[in-house]
Amino acid sequence: MTRKPVDTGDPDRLYMITGGRTRTDDSFDLVTLVVTESEPTAGMQSEHVRILEMCRHPTALVEVAAEMKLPITVVRILLGDLLATGRISARHPPSPRSAASLPDTDLLKEVLHGLRNL
Amino acid sequence: MPHTAPPRRSRPTGVLRTSAAVPAAVLLLAAAGVGAAVAAAPDAARTWTGATAATGWLCLAAALLVHHLLLRRARGTAAAKEAEVERLTAQSAQQLAESAHLVNVTVPALVTRLRDGAPADDTLAKTAQPSDARLRQVVQVFASAMEAAAQRAAALDAERLRAQQALADVHEEVERLTREVLPAAVAQVQDGSSADTVLAQWGLPSSSPLCEPVDAFVRELAVSERRASVAREASAKALSRVQAKTVSMLADLREMQERHGEEVFGDLLNLDHSTSQLGLMTDRLALLMGGRSSRAWNKPIVMESILRGAAGRIAAYHRVRLHCSTKAAISGFAAEGIMHLLAELMDNAANFSPPIDEVHVYVDEHSAGIVVTIEDSGLKMAGAAMRRAEEAVSGKLTDLAALQGTRLGLAVVGGLSVRYGVSVNYRPSSRGGTGVVVLLPPQLLAQRREPGPAETAPRRPAAPAAPGPAPSPAPSVPSVPSVPSVPEVHSAVPEVHSAVDEASGSTAVRPAPERPAAGQPAPADAAAGGADGPARSAAAEGPGLDAPRRPRSSTPNGLPVRAPGRTMADAERERDRRQASDESAGSRGGPGSAPSPARNAGARFGAFHSGRKSAGGADTSGTGIPLPDPPDSDSEPPAP
Repeated sequence: MTRKPVDTGDPDRLYMITGGRTRTDDSFDLVTLVVTESEPTAGMQSEHVRILEMCRHPTALVEVAAEMKLPITVVRILLGDLLATGRISARHPPSPRSAASLPDTDLLKEVLHGLRNL
Repeated sequence: MPHTAPPRRSRPTGVLRTSAAVPAAVLLLAAAGVGAAVAAAPDAARTWTGATAATGWLCLAAALLVHHLLLRRARGTAAAKEAEVERLTAQSAQQLAESAHLVNVTVPALVTRLRDGAPADDTLAKTAQPSDARLRQVVQVFASAMEAAAQRAAALDAERLRAQQALADVHEEVERLTREVLPAAVAQVQDGSSADTVLAQWGLPSSSPLCEPVDAFVRELAVSERRASVAREASAKALSRVQAKTVSMLADLREMQERHGEEVFGDLLNLDHSTSQLGLMTDRLALLMGGRSSRAWNKPIVMESILRGAAGRIAAYHRVRLHCSTKAAISGFAAEGIMHLLAELMDNAANFSPPIDEVHVYVDEHSAGIVVTIEDSGLKMAGAAMRRAEEAVSGKLTDLAALQGTRLGLAVVGGLSVRYGVSVNYRPSSRGGTGVVVLLPPQLLAQRREPGPAETAPRRPAAPAAPGPAPSPAPSVPSVPSVPSVPEVHSAVPEVHSAVDEASGSTAVRPAPERPAAGQPAPADAAAGGADGPARSAAAEGPGLDAPRRPRSSTPNGLPVRAPGRTMADAERERDRRQASDESAGSRGGPGSAPSPARNAGARFGAFHSGRKSAGGADTSGTGIPLPDPPDSDSEPPAP
């Protein structure tokens, strides 16, 4: 018989984490900053607890997802739960007004070149 | 009678003597009378008288003579008769005596001797024969008949003894067969011995009447046993392939869930759920067939994950409400079994309750272990049904033959509960349905340790180290190292890190949720071999990482040690790198200045990078998730 496969992942399936929900509201995008507003309470889902602990300092959604090793969609659902109960607040970073306001690509390249030469 | 004979013989002689004297006396008296008459008679008549008297006396004398003669003749005849009678009496007495002797002595002696088996002729020669020919004949006939009868009786007796012996033999053989041979033979056959082997050891001699039935029985049993075991093995083997496929499908699905965006996420979750249910069914059959679970965990699994893993495998997972506040974890070796056990019980509860009602699962931690209560609000189980369920989950019915139709889940629960020492009890639920109380004994629980800085810290800062000069042996290391345009960022990172680490190393204590992540080997480790995993996690939980890990890369003499599944060149490279990292670590104050788990620039960059990719849905390489912990996370890159 072949050797038993050893699992390194988690037994949780994502639909158990989201409770079967697959749709998110649009209040979060990748760079939305999330801040904890209240301490975790007993009986909360462990992912919620982790998010609350992680976001004591403003943290971007995508960072939360990376830290928790969960897909963005799942994190959006979880953050949506917390937002709905007022345990977090979300803040959108100032969106770039237009492409013209961004620094010129050539300028950036020069900066990069300069940095390399340091 | 002999003593009566002499008087009879003496009597006739007396009669004879008296009979001869009486006539003589009569004649003398008569002669005297005649003389007196003659003398008294006148002379004239004397002549006449004398003549007449003489004539009369003569007549009397003649008559007496005749009488005497006749008497003598009659006496002779009577004597002859007497003698005849006497002879006959004697003869009869003798015969009487002989017959009495015959009856009282001879015949019993004959019977005794003939019964003892002596031949009739010898016996007759030895016994006194009666003088009478007829009696002799009778004795002979009797003797021969008796001999024949004795012979027949002896023959019959021998035959009876033989038959009795044979019967006793057969009885003994049957006894031995039922008491020793058959149980031993059945046990051997069930252990997998062939019928010929068993028969050679236990078979009866071919002369025995039981030989044939026993032979046939053992062969038939061996055939059916073999059929059953082949069927079991074949199905276990086939199921193990399905299990492997299911696990890899689940892994693929998880990867796709990471990679693709929201538009297909729901479909992927549906597929995931179906595959999980398939896994439960496959595992159930595999366990019944003597196979194994499809998965094995090499780290403790917290109860919440256990419950969610269990509930996620049943169709009606959205009806299961989990109430779990304990932070206890189940040891890796038992985690899969416990998950399966709970999944079966939840499935049962969900199937036997109305489709709108919820199934509540409570977890309580006691000193006796963890108590999981699964309560439904369906119909109360009838007494008989509850007894049957109790019996099934008790694990006493280990034989497949005891299964009822398609009710397989509880039998699997029984097997698992016996294997892990879990007690499963049914009781009526206060919610109106049935409750199942599962007690997980303390030996299944993972040791709970307070996470220290050394336990969680060292893995994190090394994230950017992997893409350094020493390439990871696993080509599937995630996207961070494979990004070609960021070497500058990486080379700058370690210093940033260690600065952060020194600042926060003593105070940054990650709370409990971090711990499983620390014990979890990165994918590259899994690629290097499953045996590496437990050792690695053990090392990760130790107080210091460098000390336990160094012996694995080189012997005390400096020879490189090759981990299973790695090439020697890899091991050599790692040794070089390790030496370099030791130097650099020493220059920075040693491993005591463990870096902090705070997110760093590299991790941030990786997070954004992969998040952008997965959100865009265009990425097709790697897992798509940033791994802050590449496999060689505990080694520092060489000083640039």
